[in-house]
This record gives sequence, structure tokens and C-alpha cells, in this order.
Amino acid sequence: MTAAAPTVESREGTRAWRRWIQRHGWTVGIWLLLFVLVAWYSTLIPRFGGFQTSTIITGGTAWIFLGIAQAVVVIAGGLDLGVGGMLVLTSVTAAQFMDGQPLGVIVVMAICITIAAAVINGFVGWIITVSKVPDIVITLGSLYIYQGLALMVLPKVGGGTSGSFRWIFTGSENGIGSNPWPAIVVIIIPVIVVAWWMGRTRSGLSLYAVGSDKTAAFLSGVRDGRTKIVAFAVAGVFGALAGFSSVSISGVGNPTTDGGTLTLNAVAAIVIGGVALTGGIGSVIAVVPAAMILFFFNPILSALGVDPNRAQVIQGILIVLVMMIAGVLEWRRQRRS
Amino acid sequence: MPDRPTATLSTEGIAKSYGPVVALRSVDLAVEPGEIHALLGANGAGKSTFVKILAGVIRQDAGAAAINGHPVNFKLPSDAAHAGIATVFQDPALIPDLSLDQNLTISGLHRSDVEPWLERLHLSGFDFGLLARDVPLATLRLIDLARALALDPKLLMLDEITAALTPDQADLVFDVMREWKGMNRSVLFISHRLGEVLSICDVATILRNGRDVANFSLDGVDETELVKAMLGEALATGAPVSDPKSAELVSSVSESSDVVLRADDLHFRGKVNGISFDLRRGEVLGLTALEGQGQDELFSLLSGDHKPTTGEIILNGVAMSAKSPYDAIRRGMVFVPADRQEALFPQRSVRENLAIPLYNRFIRWFGLQRDEGRRVDEAIRRLDIDTRAASEVQRLSGGNRQKVTIGRWLIEDFEVLLCFDPTRGIDIQTKAQIYDLLREVAANGAAVLIYSSELREIPLVCDRVLVMYDGAIVHEQPAATATEEALLTAAHGLEAAS
Repeated sequence: MTAAAPTVESREGTRAWRRWIQRHGWTVGIWLLLFVLVAWYSTLIPRFGGFQTSTIITGGTAWIFLGIAQAVVVIAGGLDLGVGGMLVLTSVTAAQFMDGQPLGVIVVMAICITIAAAVINGFVGWIITVSKVPDIVITLGSLYIYQGLALMVLPKVGGGTSGSFRWIFTGSENGIGSNPWPAIVVIIIPVIVVAWWMGRTRSGLSLYAVGSDKTAAFLSGVRDGRTKIVAFAVAGVFGALAGFSSVSISGVGNPTTDGGTLTLNAVAAIVIGGVALTGGIGSVIAVVPAAMILFFFNPILSALGVDPNRAQVIQGILIVLVMMIAGVLEWRRQRRS
Repeated sequence: MPDRPTATLSTEGIAKSYGPVVALRSVDLAVEPGEIHALLGANGAGKSTFVKILAGVIRQDAGAAAINGHPVNFKLPSDAAHAGIATVFQDPALIPDLSLDQNLTISGLHRSDVEPWLERLHLSGFDFGLLARDVPLATLRLIDLARALALDPKLLMLDEITAALTPDQADLVFDVMREWKGMNRSVLFISHRLGEVLSICDVATILRNGRDVANFSLDGVDETELVKAMLGEALATGAPVSDPKSAELVSSVSESSDVVLRADDLHFRGKVNGISFDLRRGEVLGLTALEGQGQDELFSLLSGDHKPTTGEIILNGVAMSAKSPYDAIRRGMVFVPADRQEALFPQRSVRENLAIPLYNRFIRWFGLQRDEGRRVDEAIRRLDIDTRAASEVQRLSGGNRQKVTIGRWLIEDFEVLLCFDPTRGIDIQTKAQIYDLLREVAANGAAVLIYSSELREIPLVCDRVLVMYDGAIVHEQPAATATEEALLTAAHGLEAAS
């Protein structure tokens, strides 16, 4: 007698393929949905070319980065309400100190701001680990703190950054142009790095381990406190990237930006992207199109001529609908297995 | 400092308390190289706590441990691993949402490290892309074992490794242990199955009430002697393993008793293939099978967790169409799952866990009636639940937790009690108590269906036994005449000799 061990014999290819679809079906579906929406949008507006593509991708960059920041923390079983505040704080810090500096200095500053964001947010993760106070409470605090610090750094809209720095995130020295490629590269590189880290390395997989089963993770030698700190630090990095993107588009820092709304958008994005709010499940690869779709709702609804007030209601309904479809699919999957 | 420099592991005066509950008073133990050392003890003797301390999961309050004479003090599981102790816990320490490959990466291993060991466990060609959650429990335990071996530890600790395994899988594990021993490595082996302890282990240390009370070579020792050592002389004479008093209670249920539960040609997703049986009032019906023969699915149908593809479950003459366990429970069909974690609310008190079924009625959301409170107390008393840690069920020992899962159904009336491997990983004394309880339940007019993977407990508690193989019932006989050999033969799908 051998055990009921699932050994792979014949039809290996089919099974591997079916499993791949089962596991990554949602990611593929969200990417397809994004492309369908783009195709549809292109028929709604009179002209669809480099400028329109660039506007959408550039505008979505910050949403994508915030989505990834949130995804990293949520996959590790946490929640960071502060990510939106981190965008505001890093963007005004950048605007305040980069204004009028040569590119070399600006790049060094960007690196310093990113490191500082990682350290500060990692410290928030450390507080959560040590105090055992739920994430939602501590990070509500960090959201307010970041928002307040932003006003201390830059009391009112102002500052700026150099044209070449803006080009990195927008493909144009004045934040709006028709070259989408720099923004695409700026999105793809960090996404690939973080996806590789989370899926292949011991430290990255620890995020999934802690989010999935804390006890089993602990017994496997994963240190959950350290893992949470790392997750929050990575979220800080992506918060800073989102901040740079934001300041590159507008060309100024705006300390009155509402970080709370940005945070909630990021939560919506990861949920649409198939990240389980209970932790342990999800992929940053799916968060990219999900954040884009969320960002994309507005241009589509305005192209359709929907009144902006109504547009918000429709946006809310659409999010709920997408999630219901996800729920039905998940339910069917569980019934099958 | 422990004074056995040659020993792979030596401990001295290890002690641990959880608040007022003393789990370990003082444990001295030495495991020599090339030795398979049994750690035995009744429930709550402190075995699990001892293992957790040596695995770095919890820290001792007092006492010292040394590996090869070097003192060690573990703060984390990774410290224990670095020092050369690898542990296979009762619950597999694999991350459910990660693939097996990724689980190995977490432990700093690659599949090529575990493959040689998996081959010996007859799991060659294993698909490492599977998520751990989709792998059967028995297979997970073997993978966990292979992972522990691949870490190349000096000491391997196995906590009830055979509990979820089929007899043939257990034999493979024993072969691996012998090979390990031949490499001059050591094993600390914890099991309630004394037969396997005697066949595989060299030396035993007995824990009782948090102390090591005996340490002896197992040459020429028999099961009764082990039981005596574990229970202490006084208790052992009262409840010997081979003859619990429940055996006297086994009644022969006449053919004329009413059928309470009738399964009529049940089918379910190719796992249950045409199962029919009758369960009569006052009867304890046993069911046994090797791992993965459809018994899990059969119980999920009966308990209302899933609906059969075809076939009917008839309770008191009326077909049951349960949409959820709630419907089954309302009809009087209650279920005690094997996984006690699944059934309990670990952070709530014993009383709350027992009273849960009462909250089915909305009116009781505002508080229990007085007689119900009394019934809860009565259940605690009757089950002999250790209430020292009653404020949180998660602090109870495994046996006491199982008593709580059974006890909650005693609060309200029911028709059929479904038990899935209720004595898995539980000590003999508690087992005997559970047998008595099941007999008592049947004597009071309910019917009991019990699945057990431990063949020898079937004649102790059942009236009649069914054997399942490949989703069908292949064998039926009165439990009194059911020998282990006959059941095992049938369970392998072979023609029974009798």
C-alpha cells in the first residue's frame, strides 16, 4: 500500500497548466480586464495615442506603488493605513529640498528620502511588534503623524524638483507628455524585483508564511516580528516611490493631499488584485493592473460624460461587483477542491 | 550542569509553569548517540511542554540542557535547529498557502535535500508545486519528517508522528528511524502506541506529573509494565489497557431496535462510492479504514458539511437535506471532528465551549437559563475535565480538549453522535474514559458512529464494525469477534480470512 500521495504521472502538462490557471487565473483575468478597458476607452475618446497612454500610465504610477506597499504588508498578515500619508510626506519633502538642485544632488536626496521612509515605516512595524497593538490602530496614528509632518516640512503648496527627475517618472520635463516608456520602466523594475523577492527568496517567502500561518511559520524558524518590520520597511520604500511619482506629475509638493483616501484606494486595489485581507495570499503582479483599473475608472466615466458625483457612486458599485465576482470564483474553486 | 558529556542531549531539572498550572516540575533526561529514546507519559504529564522547550518554541523557567556536553538555551526554534535538534510536531509545521518547494525554501532547503528521504518513505516523484493545503495530512507529516531529516540534526524529536499514518507508512518511518540510528544519530520518540514503542525504541523515560519518574531499557519489557509505569501502580490496576470496564458494557443490539440513521447508496465525487448502512438505537457502530479511503468525505456528508451527489441520508425515517452542519445538528446529528482545533474556540473558556450548542436558540443569546448552567457544570464533572486551565481551552492538554468537544453535545439531546478518530494522540486513561462515555451515550438510547484508525480499540467500544476501502464498505462483522488481523486484511481491500 502506498499513501494517497498525489504523484504526477501522465498528463503532467495538462495538470500543470490547469494548476497554473487555477493559481494565477485571477492575475491573468485582471490584466485582461485592464486591456479590455483600455481598448474600450480608446473608442470613447476622439484620439487615443501616446499622449493619452502616457497620461493614464503616469497618473496610475502612484496608485500602483501604493497598492504594492499595501500588498506587501497585507500579505504578511498586517495592514498599513499610513501608506497614503507616506506618499504625502515624501512628496513634500522631495519638493521642499529638491527645488533648484542639480540632478546629481536630487538623485542622492531621492535615495536618502527612500531610505528614511523605509526606516521610519519599519519603525512603525517594530512598534506594532513590540506593543502588540493591532496594526490598524498604530498605522492610523502613523497616517496622522505623516500627514502632520508633511505640513511641518512644507506648510503650503510649493517647492519643486528638476525637469530631468520629472522625466524619469513621467517621460516629460514638465510632467505631461506623450512618452509612456520611462513610467513603464519605473513601474516594471521595482515590481519585478519585489515579485522575485517575495516568490523566490527565504526572506520574501517569510511574508507569506507569517501571513498564512503564524504558528507554522514560527515552528519553521521564521521570526514573525522581524518579518513584519521588513514588510513595513518595504512599504515605506514604495510609499516614497509613490511620493516621487506624485511630485513629478504636479511639479510641486502639496501637503494638504488627503493621505487617507489614497490609503483606502490602495486597499481597494489590492482587494481587486486578489490579495486576501487575511494575509498569506496574493501577488504584487496582479496589484499593478488592479491599481490601474481603479485609477482608470475616472477617465472612463468622464469620457462617458457621467456627472462626477454620480461617477463616485458608480465607482463604488463597480468595486463591489468586481469583488462579488471574485467571491463567486473563489467559492466555486473551493467547492471543486 | 548536566553530567553526561557523551550524551547527544542531556537535561537537568527542566521546569515550566503556565500561570498557576505547573506543566513540568523537574525533568532529567539523557539521550545517547545511536539511541531511540521513548518519552512516555499519560496526558498532561508534560511531554509536549518538554518537547516544545527543546525545540525552542517556549523557554523553560528553570533547568539546563546540553548537546554533546555543550550547554544550550534556545530562544527561538531556529536556535534549536542550529544546535542540531530537529522536531516533527503533532501538527505539521508547513505553511498552507505556500507550495512545498516554497516551504522548503523557508527552511533553507532545496527539494534535492529531502528527495532521498522521501524516496525511503515511498513518496518519490512527488509534486513539489502543490500547495501544502492541498496535500493530505499523512503525506504532510512524512514531508515534515523528511524536512527534519534533511536538516541533518544530531537529535530528531518525533511527537506522535504515527498518529495520522497508515500502518504501512508507519513501518516506513520505523525503517528510516533504524537507518538514522545506524548513522549513530539519536531520536526522541513520543507515541501513545505502546506496541510501536516496544518494537522500535531502546530506552524509555517516563514522565508523570511533570517529573521523570522512571528510566529503563526496554529489553524484555511488556506493555502492561509500561502502562503501570505511566499511570502509577494504583491507577494501573484499576484500568488496565487490555480490559477497560467499557468492555463489559458492550451490549448486543437486537435486530429489532429502530433504525435511527440509514445511509442509502451514498455517492460523493468519486470518493464515496455507494455506501449503505443502518445504525440502530443504542448501537455503537465502528468504522475503520486506511488513510484516504473516503472516510473523511463520508463523515462530511453525514455531518451536513457537504451534500451527497446521489443517495440519501435518512434520519428517523425522514430524509435529511442538510444545507450546513446547523441543519444536521438541529435534526440531532452531531459531529466530533478529529481535529480538535477545528471544533473549539481556543481563547474561550471551557464553560463557553461546552455551552455553544445552546446558543443555537436566539432566546439564549441573552444568557443561559439556570438549569442549563447546571448542565454545563454537570458535563465538566462527568467528563472529569481538568479545570485548572478552564479560562482558555487552548491551555488544556489534548485529551482534555477532546473531552470538551464531546462534552458539548452532552448538554443537549441528540440522536446520533458521529466521532471521527476521537482518541487520536490521547493517553490510555483518557481513552478509557471516552470509551465509557460513548457506551453510556448508547445505553441512554442514542446511536454512535465512530471512525477509528486504531484497530484494537474497535472491540473495546463497538457493537459492530464496518471496514471501508476505496469509498465502499467491504467488510462487516460483530466487533466482539473482530481481530486486528481480520480488520487490517479487510482494510487493505483483501478478502477477509474469517
